[in-house]
Amino acid sequence: MLRLLATIRKEWQLLLRDKTGLTLLFVMPVVLITVMALIQDAPFKDYQDVKFDILTVDNDHGRLGKYIREGLASGGQFNIIDTLEGQAVTEKQARELVNSGRYKISIIVPTGSTAAIVSNANRIVNEITQRMGMSVSLPVKKEADSLNVVIYFDPAAKKAFKGAIHQALDNFLTQVETDMLLDRIRQQLRNKDVQAQPADTLPIRLQAVGLKEHATGNSKQLDVVSNSVQHNVPAWSIFAMFFIVIPIAGNMIREREDGSLLRMKLIPGSYLLILAGKMLFFVGICLLQFYLMMLVGIYAMPLLDLPKLVMGHDQAAALLVASAIGLAATAYGILIGTLFKTPNQALNFGAISIVILSAVGGIWIPLEVMPANMQVIGRLSPLSWGLDAINDIYLRNGDIGLVWKNVLRLVLTGGVMLAVAGFVEKRRMN
Amino acid sequence: MASIAVKELCKTYKGAAEATLKGLTFTFPEGKIGGLLGPNGAGKTTTISILCGLVRADSGEVMIHGLPQDAGHREDIKKIIGIVPQQIALYPQLSAVENLTYFGNLYGLKGKALFNRIMHYLEVFGLEKAAYKEIHKYSGGMKRRANIIAAILHEPDLLILDEPTAGVDVQSRSMILQFLRRYNEQGASILYTSHLLEEAQSLCDEVVIMDEGKMILQGKPEQMINELPECRNLEDVFLHYTGHALRD
Repeated sequence: MLRLLATIRKEWQLLLRDKTGLTLLFVMPVVLITVMALIQDAPFKDYQDVKFDILTVDNDHGRLGKYIREGLASGGQFNIIDTLEGQAVTEKQARELVNSGRYKISIIVPTGSTAAIVSNANRIVNEITQRMGMSVSLPVKKEADSLNVVIYFDPAAKKAFKGAIHQALDNFLTQVETDMLLDRIRQQLRNKDVQAQPADTLPIRLQAVGLKEHATGNSKQLDVVSNSVQHNVPAWSIFAMFFIVIPIAGNMIREREDGSLLRMKLIPGSYLLILAGKMLFFVGICLLQFYLMMLVGIYAMPLLDLPKLVMGHDQAAALLVASAIGLAATAYGILIGTLFKTPNQALNFGAISIVILSAVGGIWIPLEVMPANMQVIGRLSPLSWGLDAINDIYLRNGDIGLVWKNVLRLVLTGGVMLAVAGFVEKRRMN
Repeated sequence: MASIAVKELCKTYKGAAEATLKGLTFTFPEGKIGGLLGPNGAGKTTTISILCGLVRADSGEVMIHGLPQDAGHREDIKKIIGIVPQQIALYPQLSAVENLTYFGNLYGLKGKALFNRIMHYLEVFGLEKAAYKEIHKYSGGMKRRANIIAAILHEPDLLILDEPTAGVDVQSRSMILQFLRRYNEQGASILYTSHLLEEAQSLCDEVVIMDEGKMILQGKPEQMINELPECRNLEDVFLHYTGHALRD
């Protein structure tokens, strides 16, 4: 026990005097998560909080144009702009403004589009009533119109954004066409039933099955919305925790170079206890880093007009995950410190390997948006296991039952790395 | 009883073209100061590493104070030996007190007893004023002295020193040699390696000259000098047996 405690105290004394190491472990991650959360705030907000200006040119002046404008405005995500400097926007103007990137989107409702919808509804009602033996003849245009609502997108607009707008407009068109059709049917039924009062309405409810969002987790609270802070704070904290490889590897190589390791091995008692003390200390530092970053996410991010970090419900599971990440990171540092002979080799390899593991492991961008092959590789990265487990707790309100597999993976990987380091060190002795 | 008994020791490192030790045999009596001398590449450091249990010999026997250097006795042997490596095996960022407290703790020493012992040795080695100064701020001689204290905190029966006076000034060397004599007078055995043969001649009761992994000569320095009329000192004897050819 004395060996263990003495080693922890010694590592603490060494770290306190290592200003560069302290900066790397505590200041750099705070700067990193803040900068990354700020930079990625806008892209995360793209489809959530950001309001887009939509130029609308209503050449129809009928029900369709009104419906589209009202429908888009009601979602709260779009500002409908139909006049510029007091003048109605023209189609030419709209196309040029969108092409120049000043507006992301423009919608042109063509002349006669509502009339075309009405005519189509009348044609359907005529068909139905004739087949039912009724002699009804609503006015229809001789030839079916082929009109299109035209959309102009900023050439730089993302595919997902375009898809969402297409879908929304398609829904509005369907809705208007359905409304018109139901309106005509309702009218004909009223005409047939002479007893009915003119004000009498026929209740036709189309949506027998609706949509309602439910929580996926055990909690009744809806899952937390993934935003810049929810992604970047845990992701870059894990990245920073793995950067502990640099001080550990440097420390181990210095111990080997200056002979302190030799002295430790010449002292009776198990070297494993000294190593355990070193590991305990650095896992503790990893935990300190992790929770310091979480505090930044909770208290400092809102001061920068960013969302507040939400930490889920099962804090014991989060502590377990953070400890497992710390263990894997520390073991990796010990392995690097054992394998390499000079601090330069170890520091370069350590830093670059962590950047690669983090890039493929979904720290920079989520794994889901990577190509399928990269996703397979990414899921082998310990950083992705850590991030997955933290997301399970923070975003999905998960508990230990949801994260134990990733915790086990991290612990086993740490164990394997320590075993390899032990084997290499033993071979070196001979 | 012999303090150190080495018999037919052989060692070839993996990938090495030639054996480092080729049947090395020597004995040092208990309670004496022994010198292990040889040119570069003679196998001194490998021999010391095997004596300490850091490196395993391919064959041969090593006995330390009557205990065989094997897996079953390695821990017992570590308790009775103290090693002063050639490197300054201390944490440069920590002070002498912090370094010595840590290594003392590893030896199982603690509390006031450890602190008093540290302060005593710092005084003996003239480092009491620099007790709380970080090691990297020490001069070469001060580092060497602190390096010795770290090896004697547990007061070992056998002290092994690998070039303890390399690169130090005359004053520091003199004080280190004085201390070694005093420590030996208290009953401890000392094995010492050095390239400074004048120093070895004045300090050692008995020396082993080794070259190319084998023992060339063993005896008392004066006796060795007297046996060769053309030699005036130990350096002449050394050159007589190991030659003038440069070593890598």
